[in-house]
Amino acid sequence: MRELDYAGVEKVLVSFIRQSIHKAGLQRGIVGVSGGLDSAVVLALTQKAMGSEHTLGLFLPYRLTAAESAAHAEAICKKLAAPLEVIDISPQIDLYFSARPTTERVLLGNKCARERMSILYDYSARRQALVVGTSNKSELLVGYSTLWGDSAAAFHPLGDLYKTQVFALAERLDIPQEIRAKQPSADLWPGQTDEGEIGICYLELDEILFRLVDKRHTPQEIVAAGTPAATVEKVLRLIRQSQYKRTLPPIPKLQARTIGLDFRYLRDWDK
Amino acid sequence: MKIRAVQFAPALGDVERNLEFHLREIDRARRESVELIVFPELSLSGYHLKDIVYDISLTPQHAAFKEISRLSREIDVILGAPWEEPRGIIYNAGLCFSKGELSHRHLKVQLPTHGMFEERMIFKPGGEFRPFALSGHTAGMLVCREILFPIYAYLYYLQHTDLLIGISNSPQRNMAAGGFASLELWESMGYVYSQFFHQNYLFVNRVGFEEGIGFPGGSFFARAGAGIVQKAKYHDPDFLDCEADPADVRRARVSANYLRDEEPHVVLRELRRILHA
Repeated sequence: MRELDYAGVEKVLVSFIRQSIHKAGLQRGIVGVSGGLDSAVVLALTQKAMGSEHTLGLFLPYRLTAAESAAHAEAICKKLAAPLEVIDISPQIDLYFSARPTTERVLLGNKCARERMSILYDYSARRQALVVGTSNKSELLVGYSTLWGDSAAAFHPLGDLYKTQVFALAERLDIPQEIRAKQPSADLWPGQTDEGEIGICYLELDEILFRLVDKRHTPQEIVAAGTPAATVEKVLRLIRQSQYKRTLPPIPKLQARTIGLDFRYLRDWDK
Repeated sequence: MKIRAVQFAPALGDVERNLEFHLREIDRARRESVELIVFPELSLSGYHLKDIVYDISLTPQHAAFKEISRLSREIDVILGAPWEEPRGIIYNAGLCFSKGELSHRHLKVQLPTHGMFEERMIFKPGGEFRPFALSGHTAGMLVCREILFPIYAYLYYLQHTDLLIGISNSPQRNMAAGGFASLELWESMGYVYSQFFHQNYLFVNRVGFEEGIGFPGGSFFARAGAGIVQKAKYHDPDFLDCEADPADVRRARVSANYLRDEEPHVVLRELRRILHA
C-alpha cells in the first residue's frame, strides 16, 4: 500500500469540505456519527473545515447497536466540541418489521441504513447543513454499502482513501485510541464486522485493490506476486457486481440530449 | 520586465464573475507598475466545461475582450479562454493583449483526452507554435499539457524566445509520501527549460476545486540558467511577482552555448527519415 503525505491529505480534504459547503451556499456540515472510525475522521475534518459550532453529529442507534458505539460517538463529539444529537430509530424500524417480519439480517441492516439517511437529509433541510458522507474507497469499490443508505451524501471526503489509509489519517487527526483500536463494523447487528462480511481482511483487500485500480496491475500479476487466485477473483467479482452502486440509474436514450449521456455538466456549474 | 502571476480559482462557467476578477486585478497590477500580468489556462471560464462550453465560449467580438484590450494600453495581459472562431469551432486558447489589442493567440495543440480529461471532446486542436513580441522580449506560450512535451518548447527556442509562459489547469493527482507527484512534473520541466533551453520561464497554475478535482497551484518562476527561483503557495490563491531579464538569457547562452550548437537540420533530416521509413 502506498504511503501518503497525510498532512497534505488533511489540507486537501479540509479545503474540499469547506469549499463544497460554501459552493452550496451553506455554512454547516452534518455527519452521521456511528461511533466508528470513518465517521470520527469525517467529523474531525468537517470540524476543521467549518468550526465546531458549524459541525453537527447525529447518532442514530437501533436497539441492536453496540453499547460502546454510543460511548464512542459521544467521545468524538465531545473531543471536537461538536454538538451531538441522538435519535433512537428503533420505534419506526420495529413498527415496519412487525407488519413485515423477516429473518434476513441484511434487510434489517439496509432498512436501518436508509432510515438514518432519511433523518440525515431531514436534518440537512432543517439545519441548512450539507450531509458529509463517510464512505471510503475500499467499501465503495467492493460495494460494501447500502444503496441510498450510508452511500447517500452530498460528497464523500474519504472516497479516495483505502481503509488502511483512513487508519493512518485517523492517527494524524488524533482520533481516540478506543475508536482506532476496535474492529471496523457497520454495526447493523451484534458481532458484525466488515472483514467478516467481506471475507477478506482490509490489509489484504486494500493491497489487491490498490494494485488493481491505482497501479493497473493485471490479476495475473497480482497472483504471481503471491496472492491466492481465488482471493483476487473474489475481489474482481465484488468490484464488477457493485458497479451499479457507483453510477446514477441509467436512462434509456430517446431524444437528442439525454441526462447522464450527452447532457453533461459538473455540479459546480456557475460556482 | 516586472511580471505578476495570478493564482486563483475561476468560477466554473461564470464568465461575468471571472471577468470582473480579471479587470480588478489587471487594474491593480497596472497601478503597481506591473508590466505583464498572467492568468492561468481557461481563466475566464474554469476547466471542466463539458456542455457549458457551448453556452459560454467567447468569440473575438465578445465584450470581455474589448474591456481587456482597453486596459492593455498600459499593461500586457495573458489569460485563457474557450475561443470560438470560426462559428461553432472552439479552441482552448491562450490570449495575449498588448498595446490596446489582442496581439497574439496560441491555440492549444495538446488536448488531453484520457481518464478525467475530456478536452478533445469539446475543443479543436491548434497547429502552430509562433513566438510573439512582448515589451522587448521574444515570448512563447505553452498551455498545460504542451509543457510536458519539450519538443514544443524546443520549437520556440529555435525561434529565439527568451521568455516562456506556461499557463495551466493541472489537477492534483498521484499522491505519495512526498506529496502530489503531479507537482513534480511541472517543476522538473521548469528546471529543463531554465537549464537547457535557457529561458526565463513562468508557470501559472490555478487553485480551487471543481467537484472533487482539486488544483494545487504551485506557480513558479525559473530564471534562465538558474532553475526555479520563486514559488507561489501550494493549494491556496496567491500572487507571484517576478522580474524577467533578457540579460540572464544571454549570460546562460554564452556560458553553455546550447543554442549556438543546436543542429536543427540534423533533427529535421532524421525526423523525415523516421516518419518516411
